[in-house]
Parts: sequence; C-alpha cells; structure tokens
Amino acid sequence: MLRVENLVVGRGAGPVARIERLTAAQGEAVLIVGPSGAGKTTALLALAGLAPIHGGQALLGGIDLTALDRRGRDRLRGSAMGFVFQDLHLVAGLSALDNVLLAPFAAGLEPDAPRAQALLDSMGLADLAHRPAERLSRGQAQRVAIARAMLLRPRLILADEPTASLDDQACETTLALLLQAARDTGAALVIATHDGRLRQRGLTVFETEPMS
Amino acid sequence: MTTWKLVIAFIRRRPLSWALHVVTLAIGLAVVLALVQVERAAQARLTRDLASVDLVVGAKGSPLQLVLSAVLQADAPTGNIPLAEAEKIARSPLVKLAVPVSMGDSYRGARIVGTTPDYLQIYGGKLASGRPWARPMEAVVGSEVARRLDLRIGKTFIGSHGLIDSGQQHDHAPYKVVGVLAPTGSVADRLILVDLASVWAVHGESEPPADDHAHHHHDAEQAAAPADRQVTALLIQYRSPMGAVTLPARVRAIPDLQAAAPPVEMARLFSLLGPGLELLRALGAVLLVLAAAGFLVGLIGAVGQRRRDIALLRALGMSARQVFLLLTTEALLLGLAGGVLGVAGARLLVFLGAGLTAPSLGGAGLAQPPMGVADLLTVAAALGLALMAAVAPAWIASRSDPAQDLSGAQA
Repeated sequence: MLRVENLVVGRGAGPVARIERLTAAQGEAVLIVGPSGAGKTTALLALAGLAPIHGGQALLGGIDLTALDRRGRDRLRGSAMGFVFQDLHLVAGLSALDNVLLAPFAAGLEPDAPRAQALLDSMGLADLAHRPAERLSRGQAQRVAIARAMLLRPRLILADEPTASLDDQACETTLALLLQAARDTGAALVIATHDGRLRQRGLTVFETEPMS
Repeated sequence: MTTWKLVIAFIRRRPLSWALHVVTLAIGLAVVLALVQVERAAQARLTRDLASVDLVVGAKGSPLQLVLSAVLQADAPTGNIPLAEAEKIARSPLVKLAVPVSMGDSYRGARIVGTTPDYLQIYGGKLASGRPWARPMEAVVGSEVARRLDLRIGKTFIGSHGLIDSGQQHDHAPYKVVGVLAPTGSVADRLILVDLASVWAVHGESEPPADDHAHHHHDAEQAAAPADRQVTALLIQYRSPMGAVTLPARVRAIPDLQAAAPPVEMARLFSLLGPGLELLRALGAVLLVLAAAGFLVGLIGAVGQRRRDIALLRALGMSARQVFLLLTTEALLLGLAGGVLGVAGARLLVFLGAGLTAPSLGGAGLAQPPMGVADLLTVAAALGLALMAAVAPAWIASRSDPAQDLSGAQA
C-alpha cells in the first residue's frame, strides 16, 4: 500500500534526511527509527504532504505523493491519512467527540457522529464523549487522538513518537490501540520513534539517514 | 462539529480579551451612531417645531433665547411685551397670521401656554377628543402631555408658577381639561394650551409681587387693567416674502421689542454647538480606530497562541484558504457582536440623553428613531472593521508552516 524509495525530505529549501526504502502493506505496522534529529518526524510530515520532498518516490495505493500539488496533498491528507502526534494535539474547548469529528470537518467531509461515538465507546470513553478535551487525562486524550485518526478509515496512519514519555504499561496500551486501529481500518501504520521498547516488538524497521 | 463551534471554542479561550475588544468597538460605534441619531432627531424636531413661524416678536434680550422659549418652549422667556403693541404688529398687512403666546406656568413639567386657537393652525393640531377651549380655565392638552400625565377630558389640575414644578401653586384657579390633541409630532404635543384670558385670570388675584422666579415675567401684567396687558411673544407668519424685508426692522424700531427669525437663530445655535459635536465625532472615530487596532492585535495574538491548533487542522486536511476563512469568520462573529452591541448602546445613549434633556425640552426628550438604515450601516461598519483587522492575521495563519508548528524542535 505504501512504498517509498530513496525519498529525500527537507525543511524549507534544504534536504534534511533520506529514507532508502520503506514499504507497509494494508494493516501492517512499520517503524521509522533513527537518533534524535535524524529526520524521523520530517519524514512523516513529508509523507503527509506537510514537508517538502526533494527527491525519490512515495506511492500510497498507487498515488504518487511527490506529484501532487498543494491542494491535492491537502485533500489526500484529509481523506486518506490519519495522524497521531506525540503531543496529542486535541483542541481545547471542544469535547472529546468534537475532537474526533474535527477530522471530517477539516477535510470537508460529511461527519459520521455515530461512528465517532462508536470509536470512543470501543476505547472505553463512552462516558467521556462530551467532556472538554482539557479535562481529559493524557491516556484518555491519546485514545481520543487515535479514534480521530481512525474515523475516516484512512489508508495510512502516521504516528509520531506516540509512546515517548509513557510508562511501560501506557506504552503497551498505546501500541496495542494503534495496531488495533491499523487492523480495524486496514491502514498501513507508520510509527516514527526512537523508543527502544517498540523495536522489541518485531515490527519491520526502516531508518532515516540525516543529510546535514 | 461546525465552523461556529470551533470559532466559539477559540473565542472562549480568551473571553476577557475578546470582551474588551468587542466592547471598545461597540462604544465607538454607539457614540458615532448616537450622534447621528441625535442630530437627525433634533433636526426633524426643529423642522416640525419651527414649522412655518417666520418671525418671533418678544422682549429685548437674546434672540436665540426668544426663539427657544417662544417657539421651541425650551428656555425661559426674555420678558413680556405689551399686548397693544403685539396687536398693532398683528394688524400689519405684511402679516398673514399672528399668534400671541403667554408663558410662565406649568403643570408637572408641561408648560401651560396661553394663546389663541390660531396656535393650532401653525402646527396642524387637531383635537383627538373633546372640544377647543371656550372660556377661561379650560385647557386643551397635547397628546404627549395627556399620555404622560394621564390628563383626560374632565380632569382638573392646578398650574404652578414658573416653568418647573417647584413654583407656587395657583390653588385658587384650577384648570379643566376639555380637549386632547391628536399627535402632531411637534412642540404642541408637549404643551397645555389655554386661552390667553386664562393666564390673566390665574394671575388676576394675589400673586407674589416680587419676581422671585427668574424664569417668568408675567406677574405684573396679567392682573393689570386690559390696557396694560402683556403677552410673552408673538409668533408671525408673513403674508409674502416682503415681510422678511421690512417687518423685522419695523419691530426693532419699537422700544423694548425685538424680532428674531427662527431659521437664523437655529443656524447660530448649530454653529455654537458645532465644535462640540465635532469633538464627539472625533472621539467616536478615535474609539473606532482603537477598536480596529484592538481587533488586529487580538487576532495576531490569537494566531500566535493557536499555531498548533491551526497546524493540526492543516494536518487533518484543512486547506490554507479554509484556515483564512476560519479566522475571518471569527473576526466577523466578534464584529457582529460589537455591531449589535453598538446599536443597542446608541439607543441607550439616546435614551439617557433624552432623559437628561427632557426637562429643558418641555418634558419630552428626543424621540428614539425607529430601526433603520443607520443601524444596519453600523453593523456593516463593525463587520467591515473586523474584516479589515482580520485580513493580515488570517493571512499569517494560512501561510504558517504546519510542519514547523507540529514538530516543534524535532527534525
């Protein structure tokens, strides 16, 4: 589903990292690893069309990500990709349910409130759907973020350091939720991490090479 | 999830800051709109009140005061003039209509004006009920007075000496309401009209000999013999424009009399008020500029505070154009709130101003204008200012680099 070859990604005008090869099939989870500053996050953002690609190839379900214009990248990101960030990025002032529904809103798609509620239910957040984001615990907020990434049944879920600064149990729970999300939606899951605990899970690992 | 929900969530994060900006905008708009409305209401009222009075003849003094007191019923009279002189002027062939007025008493803030039935002719006054006065101590009340003081036909009341309520009451001479005027939209609505003879009758008995009320001048006249009777002023309509050329000069030749042309005096009044009005307008404009600047600063601050939210929305597929629209929608919503509050504030200012000026305007302040184009233009101005203030911050937000804002220091 996702196939990357010799992808050079950057910030602004200059390239900062390269991924020689990366593939992830439907429902499969892979890791992008590398030391801090090696361009892991930049690689994820480039796959999402938010950071420039300076060379190479990236195909998502046959769509050449390097050939899309800005509008095309926005559309594809909104309709076919889900994001889970290290810092969760829920919008304060909105409820958990509304944060999940931000995904179709931002993408200009019809909201599917029953599915959003069902996803929250499946993550044990049934009673917290209407609680403001700022009143959720970190674990609860992370589950909301994963539900949001799953809502539109994406083809690709991108997770940036989702387990950083979590204890072992929380790390285990988060990883299980992400893997479950990929299985449930049939999305390829790409996790950028420097968390050694994830490397022990037997997932396919790809590395970024810093270029500067 | 809707745009409004998201915008309101954003606004609610900085409620005090936005409340301050909205209130500043509302105050600026309210001052400007209230000034426009007061000027319009004042002009409309003056147009009606001055009606077709071409000349006012009264005792020497300030001509502006003479017009204000005798026509607009908004100031103390300048003095009295002999009835005989007034009648002589009235008989001039240059005069189409001459209406004597005699003031000095009031009832609960409403002036009692002794006059002739011709007074109603000036303002197109018609009786809504009852009949005209036929003998002394009968009164016809204006519509506003009837409503405010609940003066219905058959009711009696006692006038007080002077144009405010604190004067001595003429207990010996109660008036009886025999007619109520239909609304004319003019000064007649705010008056109690009686026969000249009523005023003389009221003062025909024991009155304080000294002029202990600075605002009246009729004490000595009315008790006097008919030959010495006086009136406060004479309102004149010319038979032809020629009247304007010769009559004022003829009046000025008579000792202790003056002639004042209402349009001239009103122009003088507005030229006196002009600098004050300009200052208030400038104040309103400054407030509007401050409000727009406040919006600009507030929105730039909001964009800075929301970089990660905006980056998130971009990551979720929102286009730069939509981010721009989201910010402008927020500004427009706040602008709308400012506009609506501004319109309400202007009405409050006009209401308060009406209350403050009512005593000097015969018991009824300037009327609240109906909702109209000026109100809509005010809301439109608020939206325009908000939009202008929003363009730069919205552009900054739409051009921000989501990758930078999402990853922070990571690379």
